[in-house]
Amino acid sequence: MSYGLALIYGVLKIINLANAGFLMLGAYVTWWLFTAYHVDPLLAPLVIIPVFFLIGVGLERTLVRRVLGSEPIISLLLLFGVWLVLQNLAYVIWTGDTRSIENSFIESTVKLGGLQLSIPRLYVFAMGVLSLIALQLFLTRTYLGRAIRATAQDRDAARLVGVDVDRVMGIAFGIGIALAGFGGSLLSLLFSFTPDFGRVLSLKSFCIVVLGGLDSIVGVAFGSVALAIAEAFGVRYMPASMQDLISFVVLVVVLVALPKGIVGTLRSLRRG
Amino acid sequence: MLEVNALAVAYGDVQVLWDVSLRVEQGEIVTLLGANGAGKTTLLCAISRTVPVRGGTIVLSGERIDRAPSARVVELGIAHVPEGRRLWPDMSVEDNLLLGSYPRRARADVRGSLEYVFGLFPRVAERRAQIAGTLSGGEQQMVAIARGLMSKPSLLMLDEPSLGLAPIIVTELFETIRRINAAGTTVLLVEQNVLQALEIATRGYVVETGRVVSSGTRAELLASDEIKKAYLGL
Repeated sequence: MSYGLALIYGVLKIINLANAGFLMLGAYVTWWLFTAYHVDPLLAPLVIIPVFFLIGVGLERTLVRRVLGSEPIISLLLLFGVWLVLQNLAYVIWTGDTRSIENSFIESTVKLGGLQLSIPRLYVFAMGVLSLIALQLFLTRTYLGRAIRATAQDRDAARLVGVDVDRVMGIAFGIGIALAGFGGSLLSLLFSFTPDFGRVLSLKSFCIVVLGGLDSIVGVAFGSVALAIAEAFGVRYMPASMQDLISFVVLVVVLVALPKGIVGTLRSLRRG
Repeated sequence: MLEVNALAVAYGDVQVLWDVSLRVEQGEIVTLLGANGAGKTTLLCAISRTVPVRGGTIVLSGERIDRAPSARVVELGIAHVPEGRRLWPDMSVEDNLLLGSYPRRARADVRGSLEYVFGLFPRVAERRAQIAGTLSGGEQQMVAIARGLMSKPSLLMLDEPSLGLAPIIVTELFETIRRINAAGTTVLLVEQNVLQALEIATRGYVVETGRVVSSGTRAELLASDEIKKAYLGL
């Protein structure tokens, strides 16, 4: 989910506040497919990814494109509005009751060298790594992926080599939304959720993205690991209820000390 | 092959080009001369469709392109190597080059194009895995031109390629431009380095405050008193 945020920021230079909304929607669609049609929650992403991609492309074309050139506050408000709409839509359709997915897979565990590990957690982790690899391969090995990176780094230069920049921005937004939906679908395997699902997670992914550098996918992966470690250690020294505090302390520290993020800072060092 | 007719360009209320007309024939090197701010860069940007055209026409090999999207212009065979190179600094040299062959027309023969530009610029071949932002200015300029050539253009537009480069590298660069032209690519060259530009050019246009004020063959321009006084300091 943080990947999607980074991708959209990198290419369109806007912060997608609606990310949490699509994450929540991904979780609900997974749950709804499971309860109404008995679709295995593991297969739900096969539907969610393409559908959310198209929703993202459509949203970019109809709404986001209009505010791209204007001040940041305009796109923030617009996407915050989209989030509110999605949230309230979910309240209307699925009510505010807490939902969760329960089947045998969710409860299964595996013993590994004396450790009892939850299989869904391992699965979600593996999927996270896998989507990082897939995204990185897409961005570095295909023409479209390279065009997305080129647009992120220098839009005018991308235009000069014949990249249809408007189309690329639509696709990048679509991929960002698809990743949010995919993330939500995965997280529905681990947590119960309400239409407010994703709020704290979304704030955390801002933290991760800032930590990793706002436009680097690998940086985002580093950022998530760094934050997870900080939180895990933090719990040893303070009450677990204050765990979320750590993200925001890290966020503030990074913004002050390394405004370019980890990867950005390394880059400037390397370039001298 | 390229015909610009009565072109007018404005940024908002500020008009930059008035009634500019010029033609570039197949196989030529045409140079645009003129002081800073005369509108030469804007003219190239109008042709590559990265600034909006207010009036007039641009025709490339019989097709009007003054309303076409920039991607279409690249597809039709114009490569614009912009002032300041505009590489993607965080990408490798190779990725920069590969993006140069983004147009569908160029993708079929990426390998051939790579061989061609590596032949022209052996230095670029050596640096292909390096991050573009870490190259020297001269090397970045080579990559920028190579990226332009990767689209297999019939017309290569170069904007101030010698800007900020050491004299010895500039001489090398002009020699390379001559070789690119000899290999069949037409060149439209914007240069501050008037003497060296005229040495390799077939013809030239002088642009002043947004208008074409004179034009002629290399010999005519070199012989003109105005040019001598204003640009060659003779």
